[in-house]
Amino acid sequence: MTDARDLFRWMVVARTLGTTLCTLNVRWFPVEGEEAVHVGTFADLRPDDAAAPHYRDPFVVYLMRGAELWRLVAQVLGKSAGYNKGRSVAFNGPFHLNIVPWVAGDLGTTIGTATGAALAFKQQRSDRVCVCSFGDGTANRGDFHENINLAAVWRLPIVYVCQNNGWAISQRADSYLPAPIAARAAGYGIPGRTVDGQDVEAVRAGVAEAIDRARRGEGPTLVDALTYRRRGHWAGHIVSDADRAGVVQRDPIDVLRGRLLERGLATEPEIDQVHKRAADEVAAAVERANTAADVSDVELGLDDVFA
Amino acid sequence: MSTDAPVQAPAGTRRLTHMEAVVEAIALEMRRDPRVFLIGQDIGPFGGSMQGSKGLYGEFGPERVLEAPISESAMVGSALGAALFGCRPIVEVSFGEFLPAAMNQLINQAPNLHYMTGGAARVPVVIRTRVGDGPYGGHPQDYVSWFAHVPGLKVVTPATPADAKGLMLSAIRDDNPVLFVEPMSLSHARRAEVPAGDNVIPIGSASLARSGRDVTLVVWGSTRPLALQAAATLANEGVEVEVIDLRSLAPWDTVTVIESTRRTRRLVIAHETWVTGGFGAEVAATVAGTMPRVELVAPIARVGAAAVPIPSGSLRARALPTSAQIMAAVRCTLEAGTS
Repeated sequence: MTDARDLFRWMVVARTLGTTLCTLNVRWFPVEGEEAVHVGTFADLRPDDAAAPHYRDPFVVYLMRGAELWRLVAQVLGKSAGYNKGRSVAFNGPFHLNIVPWVAGDLGTTIGTATGAALAFKQQRSDRVCVCSFGDGTANRGDFHENINLAAVWRLPIVYVCQNNGWAISQRADSYLPAPIAARAAGYGIPGRTVDGQDVEAVRAGVAEAIDRARRGEGPTLVDALTYRRRGHWAGHIVSDADRAGVVQRDPIDVLRGRLLERGLATEPEIDQVHKRAADEVAAAVERANTAADVSDVELGLDDVFA
Repeated sequence: MSTDAPVQAPAGTRRLTHMEAVVEAIALEMRRDPRVFLIGQDIGPFGGSMQGSKGLYGEFGPERVLEAPISESAMVGSALGAALFGCRPIVEVSFGEFLPAAMNQLINQAPNLHYMTGGAARVPVVIRTRVGDGPYGGHPQDYVSWFAHVPGLKVVTPATPADAKGLMLSAIRDDNPVLFVEPMSLSHARRAEVPAGDNVIPIGSASLARSGRDVTLVVWGSTRPLALQAAATLANEGVEVEVIDLRSLAPWDTVTVIESTRRTRRLVIAHETWVTGGFGAEVAATVAGTMPRVELVAPIARVGAAAVPIPSGSLRARALPTSAQIMAAVRCTLEAGTS
């Protein structure tokens, strides 16, 4: 069972890995500041459940489900050792871990395929569930509406989580969100709740309740996890201080760190050790991925377009 | 037959309409494979648009015949997701005019899922729709050529009841996304013999609708009967037209078309959709670019809809291709070849 120390470790891994990936590839989407939403949202899924995480560096979710770190790094470097033969966007995960694929750069379509995973589980009379997260920008795609409505009508076992970081590339949320995301749930007749996205335990508790509900066959829930994008949309995108004016930033890692110390669950040296271990693991993964083979005509796969 | 009566494999004559043949194929596969289910609008007790799912709800019930909100993107997207996780859904998009509402799922997801997961994922989904002019006059636009452009999608468009059944069986059993297009003008057209049981027709194989030595006429869907009518008239004038019904646009049967054209040295292509960017252009370019060269004795002719959005009412007949236009195109190639 995942405890608060595990949540902490995963957030540190996400931060360390994400920071490194941003230096390796300026097109990588920084996760910094949003780690608690990824980690808390997917902490309580079973391995046989389906996970459809938001595209903003979801690697920690893949790692929590058993992916190999160095192979994920290889994806960002365009190496053949990545999970998808270098063919897809780098944030696509390993499908064999029941991760809903990212196969295009369009947004909102994975809300559809994730809803379909839940449909499969219902048709199969299984108690598996799907958890699907997406950004607040994506929440304005028609697929958001169509699929949540469909899932509500069919009472599908799915949890929708909005990783609400307040930005859509260069636009602030006040230019595209006239009302809170969670309020939309009422229109579909499903529960909607808002959680503090900087508090991994709050995210986890909110989503876990929704997962239980889905598993009991009571249908979907919409969770709005309020977080903040600390960096640009991609690593090379600079956000000015003026753009951040008036925003109170709380670091999700600091929030949990304080609690671990307070509760006596960890000591300062132990916390330092978590950071050091993450740094070592990421460094080793980068080294291994760097020496892996580049993609070739084998991966181009002219005969692999159809199953 | 009441709308919710079980689908019976019709005894004796085995003469079915195109629509009845499609429904029979779906029913056979739903009986054989519990992973198959149907998503669509009005497919419950109502029996589907144009009776396109008549009897299925009565036999299989609401758990396998899922009535959906008017949300084509969610219907296709959720079918793809269900297929990723072990189901074999059939999505009924009532009319081809509604396909653009699901375009992201059809173009950005469906064709990519297998390839972009390094071959790990499979999406056995059939997207079934109806296009073109039809008995009720609605939804006439034919956008099917768009879908043959994208690697990773299969596109079939049967023109006879037997082909409709055989290709639907293949489509459901295929591990890839298949767009199954029913020409609306043929849905309730004349009945024809349909084999009972598993008359599977492979996707990607054309059929020889009529043999002839003078001109190769490539058609699909609703233009097949127009082409046969034209060929019969021309036969009275001593012109032998070979009519090839492609049946599948992706993949398509290049071998049959090229082999025929090598013999006749004349090629006419006719389809209900527009000429510009229509799939006929691909057929023409493939034949023209084949090595060793097909020694054509006349320019390739194409017949299709007038370059206007397909109008409603009595104006429509002026926009759509006719048997007379096909005959004129054939005669043109004959004259060009003799001058």
